[in-house]
Amino acid sequence: MRTRAILGSALAAFTVLGVGYEVGQAATAVDATSATGATDATSATGSSGSSSGSTTNSDQTSSSSSGSSGSSGSSGSTGSSSSTGTTSSSSGYADGTYTGSSVSTRFGNVQVQVTISGGQITDVAALQLTDHDGRSVQISNRAAPILREEVLSAQSASVQMVGGATYTSQAYLSSLQSALDQAS
Amino acid sequence: MTATLPRTAPAEAAGTRRSVPTVGEDRLRRLRRRRFLADLLVIAFWASGAVAAALYLATGGLADWATAGGAVTGLGILAGLVGSDFVLAMLVLAARIPALDRTIGHDRAMAVHRRLGKPALYLLLAHGALLLVGYAMTAGIDLGAQLVQLWELPDMPLAFLSIGLFVAVVVTSLVAVRRKLPYEFWYGIHLLSYAAVLTAIPHQLSVGGVLADGTPQRAYWIALYVVAIGAIVVFRIAQPLIRSLRHDLRVERVEWIAPDVASLYLRGRRLDLLGASGGQYFYWRLWSRRTWWHAHPISLSAEPTGTHARITVRVLGSGTQRITSVRPGTRVIFSGPFGLFTDAARTSPRLAIVAAGIGVTPVRALLESGDLAPGEATVLVRNSQGEEGFLVPELRELAARRGVQLYRSTGPRPAGGGWMSAEDAARGVTLESVFPELDRSDLYVCGPQAWTDEVVAAARAAGVHEDRIHTERFDW
Repeated sequence: MRTRAILGSALAAFTVLGVGYEVGQAATAVDATSATGATDATSATGSSGSSSGSTTNSDQTSSSSSGSSGSSGSSGSTGSSSSTGTTSSSSGYADGTYTGSSVSTRFGNVQVQVTISGGQITDVAALQLTDHDGRSVQISNRAAPILREEVLSAQSASVQMVGGATYTSQAYLSSLQSALDQAS
Repeated sequence: MTATLPRTAPAEAAGTRRSVPTVGEDRLRRLRRRRFLADLLVIAFWASGAVAAALYLATGGLADWATAGGAVTGLGILAGLVGSDFVLAMLVLAARIPALDRTIGHDRAMAVHRRLGKPALYLLLAHGALLLVGYAMTAGIDLGAQLVQLWELPDMPLAFLSIGLFVAVVVTSLVAVRRKLPYEFWYGIHLLSYAAVLTAIPHQLSVGGVLADGTPQRAYWIALYVVAIGAIVVFRIAQPLIRSLRHDLRVERVEWIAPDVASLYLRGRRLDLLGASGGQYFYWRLWSRRTWWHAHPISLSAEPTGTHARITVRVLGSGTQRITSVRPGTRVIFSGPFGLFTDAARTSPRLAIVAAGIGVTPVRALLESGDLAPGEATVLVRNSQGEEGFLVPELRELAARRGVQLYRSTGPRPAGGGWMSAEDAARGVTLESVFPELDRSDLYVCGPQAWTDEVVAAARAAGVHEDRIHTERFDW
């Protein structure tokens, strides 16, 4: 090992780490200002929203329990909103706004609200996203719009998870599925 | 773009005397250039490790270090990033990239590859352990429950498989263990390192928050993998295959020159285009049913011609036994040439060569190809038994023709160890007495590893500068 190599390596490593640190500081500063935006909960409309913030992974099996409460194994919350009977068009969702169960993850709870219009999923709003710390806020704020787009185009909760946002994705889709279960 | 052809400056054309660089100056310049590039490689390696860590810092990861669990998690992420970077560096080092070979030599690249194995594995193990503990601390659950949760994340079973494979690969490659294993077994396990690298990728891209979708980090990381795996595919698979087929190299005949030593005469097309020089080695893969899966690093034992190349093999184990019993006409897939054990690595006016056993083969080719003045080179050939001196008749003839002083040191080594025969050691022979101009010489050493180490130690003790000692190791 020659001095030139050692000094060069130290200098290069120091510079690279320094740049990384500065970028990171800037990123956290931005997060701090934009973090609180998405998380205001506009409380659920016309839902019984029991929100049993339970197990992370309890795959809400989409057994189509059409209106019949009690039977399905999923987290309580039968979709009791007004328009249960008027199942329209292809996808078979009833119009209305449904709030999914709140799913807890290590990085905080996730809860979404889905809007069905004309039998189609027309909007998904995140009522609550992982907010354990700056990083998880950052990650989920990035993941949520991607997930929303995917759900709107797929018209179901069976979409790909967002890379690097596994927990958020799992919880988001799980909450969404419980909302869709109410709508079907 | 207009480029003008270089031409002789008028002043020179007018007959001004210009100092022509002597051979020594030329060699020194080459040496400086190689050293500079080698230093650059070291810097690039450490910088890449730093970049891996910086990827994490740039996501603002340090903000999580406020809690103990967050700090442990952060360390785990850092260990994973840097460990993976080391693994990729190992792939690049093992890819047999020609430019890398010309700079530091393939054998030295492999020595660094071996040195990186353990640190890389420790970092990856730390990655798993720290994240497990860090997550459990954050979630406030016990390690068992956390382990189950980790397992249930997407792509994590593959990641667990990957770390298991890494452990198997590194453990079977540690010197102590490796000595006890047959080559074939080690080789089989070592091939699994490709599987280990590949199975680690999915969880990095799905679970890894630093490398999330749409981030520059993800793009950089994918580029790293493309470069490392690409180097392997190009230089270890595609290029050898294409060149082997193009040169259509085949075994012409096998000639036994000692009870356990055979020369393989190879015939092909336009072998001069390979640019191989005496003293270099190739990885040879003989394409027969019993030998196709095992590539052997073997030096050329004669300067190649346009149509012929020769390698000389000593039968040491079942692998070399098999390759010396192939049929004439067998296709040969090769990669190379490799090695700085050539004229190109020289730095000094004189040449001192010490060779033992089968190590004499590259030396013979080196003498044949090197640009030697009479009296410039001195060769010492060491054998434990007289009849082992294969290639010595050829060497003697070559030495006489090129004005090379040839010595032999034959007989068992002294009980206390040493690189000469006991008899010569007792007579007071030393490296300096054999090579009186050692301080103005390049010393080339080629032989079994333990013996080579002894010669190198003697050379260092005699004050030979590190840049003047050239060795080549062929062990796997």
